[in-house]
Amino acid sequence: MSGDMILYHGEPNGPSLAVLAVLAETGLDIECRWMDLAGGERHRLSGIGEPLARDMGVEGEGPVLVIDGEAMTESVFIAQFLDESGNGALQPQDAYGHWQMLMWCRRITERCAPAAAFLGCRAHAHAGLAAMEDAAFADLRGAIVSEDLASRWSAVRSGDFPEAQVADSKAKVAAAVGLVEEQLEDGRAWLMGPLTIADFETYCWLAGMVELVPDAFAGKARAAGWMARMRARPSVRGALARARRADPEHAWAPGPEINRWG
Amino acid sequence: MAEITLYHWEPNANSGKPMLALMEKGVPFTSHYIDMLQFDQHKPEYLAINRQGTIPAMTHGDRVLVESTAIMEYLDEAFAGPALMPAGARDRWRIRWWMKFMDQWLAPSFSMFGWKFFVGPNAIAAHGKDALEAAIGRIPLPERQVAWRKAVYGLFGEEEMAESARRIDVGIRMLEAELGKREWLASDQYSLADINGFNLAYAMPLSQPHLANDDLTPNIMRWLRAIYRRPATRECWKLGRTPMAARVDILEQDYIGQGAGA
Ligand SMILES: N[C@@H](CCC(=O)N[C@@H](CS)C(=O)NCC(=O)O)C(=O)O
Repeated sequence: MSGDMILYHGEPNGPSLAVLAVLAETGLDIECRWMDLAGGERHRLSGIGEPLARDMGVEGEGPVLVIDGEAMTESVFIAQFLDESGNGALQPQDAYGHWQMLMWCRRITERCAPAAAFLGCRAHAHAGLAAMEDAAFADLRGAIVSEDLASRWSAVRSGDFPEAQVADSKAKVAAAVGLVEEQLEDGRAWLMGPLTIADFETYCWLAGMVELVPDAFAGKARAAGWMARMRARPSVRGALARARRADPEHAWAPGPEINRWG
Repeated sequence: MAEITLYHWEPNANSGKPMLALMEKGVPFTSHYIDMLQFDQHKPEYLAINRQGTIPAMTHGDRVLVESTAIMEYLDEAFAGPALMPAGARDRWRIRWWMKFMDQWLAPSFSMFGWKFFVGPNAIAAHGKDALEAAIGRIPLPERQVAWRKAVYGLFGEEEMAESARRIDVGIRMLEAELGKREWLASDQYSLADINGFNLAYAMPLSQPHLANDDLTPNIMRWLRAIYRRPATRECWKLGRTPMAARVDILEQDYIGQGAGA
């Protein structure tokens, strides 16, 4: 591959975990650099000449792959880029199988991810942000270009987590686990049959939910088996080994917004 | 070879994406017009195809595909004809990024205005509020029920409309800047991103003349006219049956100043 590449990632949880694990699966040699997502470091990275995707990405605080100064975001699309730059083993080759994988990933990124980020931030990001001095938070927030992402940061700091949204988010996480359970009904090991990006994208958002929404996983033996298989993959273990804290599944920062229309 | 049937409404927004992609690929298909304002999408015949009751949907032999952007990707991969995705992985990433940004961040804001000022009033004029309430009760997806109620009873809040207006303003500036970098949106070749973007933006010079015109957004105007000149686009817009699709005529004009067409 040509160009200067650096993958900036947060603690191996959520979208950072998905991309780190996919990178390991591809075997590509790309420099990885840890950044403090919860401290807003993503908005202060240097060497970015084309920051648009970093600034306006729908995913919120996820990894950023920088190539020749262009920031690339959205974990599913970074994963596709890595796969297509490598040997293309993590995406179905036939058009229909590919459509199924994309539909699955959309289901996760549009419904499960906003819910998981909301619940994760409520449980683990609120206290730290609430404890920040006003000036320090104003500094952090001031570096964020996207107004709606910045307002999600403020909501996490002020503890604005309406009960209706908590319930809705738990239901969405449960629905995602339900989908996994159903999908594995025919005895397959991975979500699409062969291992694909969908497994990583789904696992990364659900890993931190086991503790926060235990009911969603209760009695879901196939989903639990799949989670264990994912956790055991060398790529996932390697990604987790990059953690700087003992509990990376507790590392959250504001994610995608919950659908505002239709 | 298996037959394609596309269930669509006007060449506009989500329906227009697979319509135009089919035309560009030169793939013959049976067009099945779903009159959204007559609630064709909630009738049993259509629910048998797509039980979510949303458009568009496409059948290819006995496969049923939904989700407009994912359908376009399927078409591009499943059929010969001009490639609508470039070969380079980085260009493909950029196209996917823009399509997600438009689908999830920008288009819903345009849609809110469309539903408030076009869909709601037209549905009331056609059916009256009482008949509408019964029709809304039969909508399968809860979020589509919410959308219809808001449109019919004028329940859009001031804040959400202001936020949508802000996003339209920001999004138009982003498009203008991006189209200043390359001939096409997100890559050097005509792609799915352009098809997606055209369906979102073709009526902007008419509906947002203060934001999109030859003085303020020359790149957007050049790009819209270039897409409008394509034979596939001409063919596609002929399938429109309402004044909505006819809005494309504004692109016949060589110069559109601020406030034109309003
Ligand atoms: N994300 C879907 C959205 C499909 C969708 O919601 N379509 C709207 C029209 S653009 C619809 O079917 N509305 C029918 C209704 O609400 O009754 C796509 O892009 O295909």
